Amino acid sequence: MMNVDATNNNIVLSNVGMIFPGEQQVEALRDVSFTIRDKEFVSLVGPSGCGKSTLLRLVSGLIAPTTGEISVRSKTPAQAQADVDFGFVFQEPVLFPWLTALENVILPIQILGKRSPVKDQEVIAYARQLLADVELSGFEKHYPEQLSGGMKQRVAIARALIYHPPILLMDEPFGALDEFTRDRLNLLLLHVWEKIRATIIFVTHSITEALFLSDRVVMLSSRPGRVMSIVDVPFERPRTFDVRFTQEFTELTAELRHMLQLREVADDGQP
Amino acid sequence: MMANHDNVKKKSPIIHTLSEWFPAILLFLGTIVLWQILVTVLKVPRYVLPSPLNILEIIIKRGIDLVIQVGWTMLEAIMGFALGAGVAFIAASIFVHVRLIERSMLPWAIVLETVPIVAIAPLLTIWLGFGLAPKVVIAAIVCFFPVLVNTTRGLRSVAPQALELMHLLSASRWQVYFRVRLPSATPFIFSALKVASSLSVIGAIVAEFTGADRGIGYVVVSASYRLDTALLFAGITFSSLAGVVFYQIISGLERLILYWPGARLPE
Repeated sequence: MMNVDATNNNIVLSNVGMIFPGEQQVEALRDVSFTIRDKEFVSLVGPSGCGKSTLLRLVSGLIAPTTGEISVRSKTPAQAQADVDFGFVFQEPVLFPWLTALENVILPIQILGKRSPVKDQEVIAYARQLLADVELSGFEKHYPEQLSGGMKQRVAIARALIYHPPILLMDEPFGALDEFTRDRLNLLLLHVWEKIRATIIFVTHSITEALFLSDRVVMLSSRPGRVMSIVDVPFERPRTFDVRFTQEFTELTAELRHMLQLREVADDGQP
Repeated sequence: MMANHDNVKKKSPIIHTLSEWFPAILLFLGTIVLWQILVTVLKVPRYVLPSPLNILEIIIKRGIDLVIQVGWTMLEAIMGFALGAGVAFIAASIFVHVRLIERSMLPWAIVLETVPIVAIAPLLTIWLGFGLAPKVVIAAIVCFFPVLVNTTRGLRSVAPQALELMHLLSASRWQVYFRVRLPSATPFIFSALKVASSLSVIGAIVAEFTGADRGIGYVVVSASYRLDTALLFAGITFSSLAGVVFYQIISGLERLILYWPGARLPE
């Protein structure tokens, strides 16, 4: 276990376990320990039901772990949440249909009120700039109903970034999109990330997506979720799509896929 | 082919609406004409079934009085609507925040709903007299339930992720209510208000049956005592007009307030 000092901006999970109570107890996570460094892009990959989303909710303090400890920037998740350290992007865009794209992006600032890190005069300009960053200039006054799925998700990303959260949690944000849109948004997310340099925890099913985006990939096994392996991604940044066609990328993808499948087979073989 | 397509597109909205309604209007006029012919040919007595012309005659002769009477009924209906919908809205807002209150009160609201309004009306007349009050209360009772149920459902229609988002921002209950729950609920509320608007007119008329000296319900009852069937028909016509007008007012308000695309629930 690593020491936590006051200047530490890492996210540290120590022996985290999560059991959802109820008639049929579900053990979602068991003995999960790893550290996410400040400004690092980490993906969580694993089969359905391996507790990836649960991990995000634990880190952000939406739920509390059954066992173990989580430290976020040397604080408890609840304290970090109170300090508005988290931006969250869900699989569904969760935009409010009665607000325009611009108004949706600004909403968090209005909720935060005095706690907002962005000054009132600067909010609209900054929101417009964020929409431009996600390539939505000219769509400020469109309502969610008038936007495509990919566009809505880009608005959701801009909204998550408006209050400068040091940590961005993304729960399969592109999982519901078609492959072309997903590829485009992957590239766009990298561009945005180079600019904002927040810590990103990115949950996905896709090994390709995880390898293309991340500094490190955390491989989780299926229920209960355990850390199978943590893989360093060697590709240089800034990355382009070309990296996905290199032999190194293909080999790494195959290796990770193999690891997941082996694990699945081993699990199936259990009595 | 292309030219034809363009023609269809260029049709003005008014013409389009007219052509949409044309079959319904034609059926209505056809029925009226057939009715007139049958009554005349078969020599049906006026007190059994008056002809459309008899009814029109009464409407022209007593038009101003009928408008005044239906005005009273509308006043009762609107006051009852405001009271019933208002109380229902507040109750729903409390329900969403305090489950215990919902669990203790909702079953009784359902019981109240199942009591036939015709059975309560005489009781309220005894308690509240022959004036405006019992009519307003009965109109309020019939409005209460649909607004309560739909508003509660609407306030709960918020996606769990939206609530998580608010939680991450440490939003207060008020902020969640006014910025998320209430706007999400407005489409549901309006769909209930439209139902309630027609119901409130019916409630007011039923209340007038049990004791009143004015209102369109009073006109209908006294006409039936005198076997003045033509006046009865005129009364029926005006009461349904009152319901339609109220419904259209609420519909218009809905179009105004639910401005965002995709807001209105399907009918």
